[in-house]
Amino acid sequence: MSNALSTDTVIVGAGAAGLLLAARLAESGRRVTVLEAGPKRSTDDLISSQIWARRLKWSGPQVEELGDHKVGHAFNAGFGTGGSALHHYGVWLRLHPGDFRVASDHGVGLDWPIDYQTLQPHYDKIQSEVGLSGDADAEIWRPEGAAYPMPPMPLFAQARILQKGFEKTGRRTAPLPLAINSQPYQGRAACQFDGWCDAGCPIGALANPLVTHLPRAQKAGVQFEHNALVSRVLRDPNKAARIRGVEYFQGGERHTITAKDVIIAAFTVQSARILLSSAADTTPAPGNRFDQLGRYLTSHPAATVFGLFDEPTYPHQGVSGGQLLSHDDYDNKQQGNGFGSSQWLIAHAIKPHDLLGYGTGRPDIVGNQLEPWLQDAAQHLANMTLVVEDIAAPNNRVTLSDATDTHGIALARTEHNLDARTARLWQQRIDEGQEIMRAARAREVWHGPRVAMHIMGGTVMGKDEQQSVTDSFGRVHDTDNLYVSGPSLFPSSGAVNPTFTLSAIASRQAEHLITQQ
Amino acid sequence: MTADTTRRQLLAGGAALGWFCINGSWLQSTPAQAQADGFAPQHLSVAQCSAMNVIADALVPGAHVAGIAAYIDSQLSAKNDSLLLVKYLGVPTTAQSGFYRPALDSCIRLLAADGMTPQLALTAMGEDAVSDWQGPPASFFSFVLRADALDVVYGTEQGFARLDIPYRAHITPKKPW
Ligand SMILES: Cc1cc2nc3c(=O)[nH]c(=O)nc-3n(C[C@H](O)[C@H](O)[C@H](O)COP(=O)(O)OP(=O)(O)OC[C@H]3O[C@@H](n4cnc5c(N)ncnc54)[C@H](O)[C@@H]3O)c2cc1C
Ligand code: SF4
Repeated sequence: MSNALSTDTVIVGAGAAGLLLAARLAESGRRVTVLEAGPKRSTDDLISSQIWARRLKWSGPQVEELGDHKVGHAFNAGFGTGGSALHHYGVWLRLHPGDFRVASDHGVGLDWPIDYQTLQPHYDKIQSEVGLSGDADAEIWRPEGAAYPMPPMPLFAQARILQKGFEKTGRRTAPLPLAINSQPYQGRAACQFDGWCDAGCPIGALANPLVTHLPRAQKAGVQFEHNALVSRVLRDPNKAARIRGVEYFQGGERHTITAKDVIIAAFTVQSARILLSSAADTTPAPGNRFDQLGRYLTSHPAATVFGLFDEPTYPHQGVSGGQLLSHDDYDNKQQGNGFGSSQWLIAHAIKPHDLLGYGTGRPDIVGNQLEPWLQDAAQHLANMTLVVEDIAAPNNRVTLSDATDTHGIALARTEHNLDARTARLWQQRIDEGQEIMRAARAREVWHGPRVAMHIMGGTVMGKDEQQSVTDSFGRVHDTDNLYVSGPSLFPSSGAVNPTFTLSAIASRQAEHLITQQ
Repeated sequence: MTADTTRRQLLAGGAALGWFCINGSWLQSTPAQAQADGFAPQHLSVAQCSAMNVIADALVPGAHVAGIAAYIDSQLSAKNDSLLLVKYLGVPTTAQSGFYRPALDSCIRLLAADGMTPQLALTAMGEDAVSDWQGPPASFFSFVLRADALDVVYGTEQGFARLDIPYRAHITPKKPW
């Protein structure tokens, strides 16, 4: 074992949450060290190729997955500086006020310990920090908040065609709010609408952490250790509520680092794994005195609806996240025999191959039929993605497997099953989505399978230690100085993409930690 | 586009790529050129590569010439750096050989059956109706191999050009994979 290092704050994970916290805390004068399991990455690694982009995905210890709606960790998680946010699509939406009180309002899942108003100033602050493009007035469903700092992105042919389908079926759309520059912003370039976001945006138009919080963290003197896989947190032998630091493996050697505060921001499943692995003989894992750690794992059930049109749609144009949004019915969670909010992300720039590509999604088309079909689709295809709220359930959880990684640390195991009410809502919305496509005059319509999009929960925040793992600042209940950051804190999933909210929470955490010092 | 032009374009596609064992020497080559030069697979058997070429070509014409066998074989050797799509589908890099090999052995047996054609083999695999099939479910394997074939034929600058899609790279890949 190497000599122990020491710092003020150690942050585990150099992703969206970890780098935001690192920048803010270091700028306030703290000494901060970030431990990242994956390699050091720069914008030069963001090669425009869906094949090469697979290098950016999780390559750490395997996750065993069970259930009828597996969370898809290998697809959803990233590895290396920037984490999964490095190749995320930049769809930045606020949760709606009703998402914070699903248990009180509907008797379903969990309430948050805070309301929308508590997070609103942080949403506002973050959106000007990273740069968002959108049209707040056109988003009639948008919760209160400052207008976007940049005008919306332009609409291309695919979006204009799909917009008609929404209009004809009595639904409304608005420009999709994106953490992508519609014009140059704070020294970063404007988007070129080439649809390579999924492979990572190397020009800095999309607010991935390499171009937003990493440069600030570096400037403020944050220390980085890459290829440093954290295995557990270490309790103070004289005071169980105090966390001394963390243990990690780097270059085949075991190391420790001590700190005044420890923040685990290793994305949902690995954050829970680190805490679960920190149980000692007689002491339960931090946050697990009431067997809550790992529970309430959620993942949005999603699917893409496709249509082929006579008019050209040029589906390679635009950005991966889409061009339009529809939140009709978002606030009406009681939907017949289904339950939950839902949204449509409309008109994604899309490629022929890779897991989400249109060619891959039609395994029925083979042989000589394939190339003419792909040529047609390359000019005439349109697509949109349904995202549905997941209900937080205690039995959907992260636990430890009997199998271990090369360091002898137990692997994470996830179990996630979909509530029947969620599955019914998903089906209802998919049927409606196909209707919308037909109303837009698609000559052929189909949809992809139900997939797990985003992973949340597992270390949820709450007022009551018997039903949660952390308080509203992400401090683990039975500790003085151990924090969790990231979407694992979400008690309910809502139906919006999580990065704006996890960033707002991290912003609130940073403020809290700074005022504590 | 004629079959010959397609073949020429696929062979020409990309600059120097991976290292392949060709005629007993290690040479830098494109998977497509390695395929044409008769590379010696390091991970799969020659028979497994042949079966893969037949099935992948029936799924996505052009996959054989584009070097599907050389692509899969080289990625199976790449361990943690593997770029195979199956990584997304819960098959970690350490388990990828165990995914392809038994399924390809099943393909060898299937293709050897009396009266079998590649098309009939695809139908049987798609319906999971192959009696002594070993490895991942046949329909899932067929889905993955088709996706791999789409990668090598259409997932490159040359592939985009075949579909008239402007590539518009921010950073052009030095090699297709
Ligand atoms: C294809 C795709 C598109 C997406 N698009 C959107 C979108 O448009 N909008 C949106 O809101 N969200 C999107 N997301 C989700 C978004 O990427 C995540 O919600 C967000 O990145 C999570 O932030 P995080 O900081 O919690 O984790 P990450 O950004 O994933 O960072 C976690 C980091 O922790 C590291 N780590 C893990 N375990 C350890 C360990 N034991 N020791 C040390 N380090 C460790 C990881 O290597 C990683 O770098 C998308 C995700 C994917 C996969
Ligand atoms: S489309 Fe825009 S945001 Fe996406 S990679 Fe290109 S420039 Fe970046």
